[in-house]
Amino acid sequence: MPKIIDVKELDFIYMPGSPYEQNALKNISFSLDEGEFLGIFGPNGSGKSTLVQLFNGLLSPGRGTVTVCDTDTADKKLRQQLWKKVSLVFQYPEQQIFQISVYDEVAYGPRNLGISETEVRQRVYLALEQVGLIPEETIGVTPISLSGGMRRRVAIAGMLALNPEILVMDEPMAGLDPIGRKLILDIINNRKEHKLTSVMTSHNLKEIIAIADKIAIMDSGCLVFFGAVSELLENNNILAKYRLELPDHIQLLSALAERGLKVNTNIRSLNEAALEILRLLA
Amino acid sequence: MTGIKIGQYVHGDSFLHSLDPRIKIICCIVIMVSVLINYSWYYLLFHLLLIIMAIKASGLSFRFMSGCLRSIRYLLLVTFVLQIFLTPGEAVLSLGRISISQEGLLIASINLLRLLILFFGSLLLIMTTSPIKLSAGIEFLLLPLNKLNIPVHHFTTILSISFRFIPTLIEEATIIKNAQRSRGAQFDSPNLIVRLKSYMAIIIPLFEASLLRAEELGEAMDSRCYTGHPNQLRMSSLKLMGKDLVLLGFMFLVLGIGISISLGSS
Repeated sequence: MPKIIDVKELDFIYMPGSPYEQNALKNISFSLDEGEFLGIFGPNGSGKSTLVQLFNGLLSPGRGTVTVCDTDTADKKLRQQLWKKVSLVFQYPEQQIFQISVYDEVAYGPRNLGISETEVRQRVYLALEQVGLIPEETIGVTPISLSGGMRRRVAIAGMLALNPEILVMDEPMAGLDPIGRKLILDIINNRKEHKLTSVMTSHNLKEIIAIADKIAIMDSGCLVFFGAVSELLENNNILAKYRLELPDHIQLLSALAERGLKVNTNIRSLNEAALEILRLLA
Repeated sequence: MTGIKIGQYVHGDSFLHSLDPRIKIICCIVIMVSVLINYSWYYLLFHLLLIIMAIKASGLSFRFMSGCLRSIRYLLLVTFVLQIFLTPGEAVLSLGRISISQEGLLIASINLLRLLILFFGSLLLIMTTSPIKLSAGIEFLLLPLNKLNIPVHHFTTILSISFRFIPTLIEEATIIKNAQRSRGAQFDSPNLIVRLKSYMAIIIPLFEASLLRAEELGEAMDSRCYTGHPNQLRMSSLKLMGKDLVLLGFMFLVLGIGISISLGSS
């Protein structure tokens, strides 16, 4: 499987040589296969947002290398074109909205790609549908008249309309209602079905454990864990140290296993857990 | 958070940081007056030397300070070019109908020097004085206006809130700029129109966010029963030291010499 993100011995320092110098990332190395979904966890200030800004070339690596979609992000010219392949949805993306209509807002990115207006229109309609909005009803609406949650959908549609090879979302669920949170998960599931890569930073392991392929846990700029979800579930030290709360059904299976019952603990979704318990009862 | 921004307060414990804000403000005004009333070469060069010594005493790097000149390069260039071409006098170089005069070169160089002194003087003031100290200093110096029924404390509250939100606005503008860059905004385009259009994508959301924040801050102040009154606690924290008085005396001495030279030459 080709590596779509390859990070080697990465260091990143903010304001080097100044009184405010801050070593944001320290010796980070990992790689991600194409089509996988990576969840990045860690407390505030652990370096999650800095790391994802290196994926789409907004920042350049201080030391080490970051190769994304076969592009070395240390090269300024190549880095500046990376937005065409990697879409980064910032925290509270609704704050970046500036156009007078939803259509123009979603079309801003595709228009910058230089594609025809017909294709722009197709992409806008498709992106709005992907975020659960009805294009015919929303394209003419002024974004400022929408609620916060709806505006975030519009902002995310603006990034989806770029048809990115990698979709990176920086805490997209912060402040969203349950419907909005489910929508984000649906978008990632949809991308997984189409073998498209996604990355998401979050504080809530419960929400994405069922669909994540790889998990990265960061602390004070260091990558303290990187691996498959099954490896994380076996690593009680990391789970306890970072107080990563697992979904109730996984906790139940682990508790049953601890009591000596022969139960498969390598299960993530609620349905699988229900089937496993039924099997046990039978 | 990509680097220290021009005009941003830089935390430190240097000689300049430790001075009383009132003295720094007065010294800055004295320098402004000095370089405006006296335009002799040696006097201006002496001030430039003082500024260089002040930069050294501030702990700020010369490289960063000289880099700040980039932000006013067009002002310096336009001032210099207009004065060398528009000042009448003995021509030293003629380009068709326009010529560069000897007097023009002299005045342009003097004014360039004045601008540099004024720029670095005010930059040192705001980069070595915390926003809280700066507004306390301004409030103290403007106190006499209270007798004219001018609400100085309201003015300084506005000022301190503005100072407080400058870093927040810079950070927000950086985030919005990065977000728009992720959608292909061309801030580095050689085409000026494209560049201006790209910047609209920052200005509009930034204005919206600022207005919302102002509204929220107003409500938060109301809910905590804010009533305008002089900030005694902040002002009583200001203490004059011996070094403040020595510096103040020295700057007034320099000003006095400048005035007497000007009066003598006229």
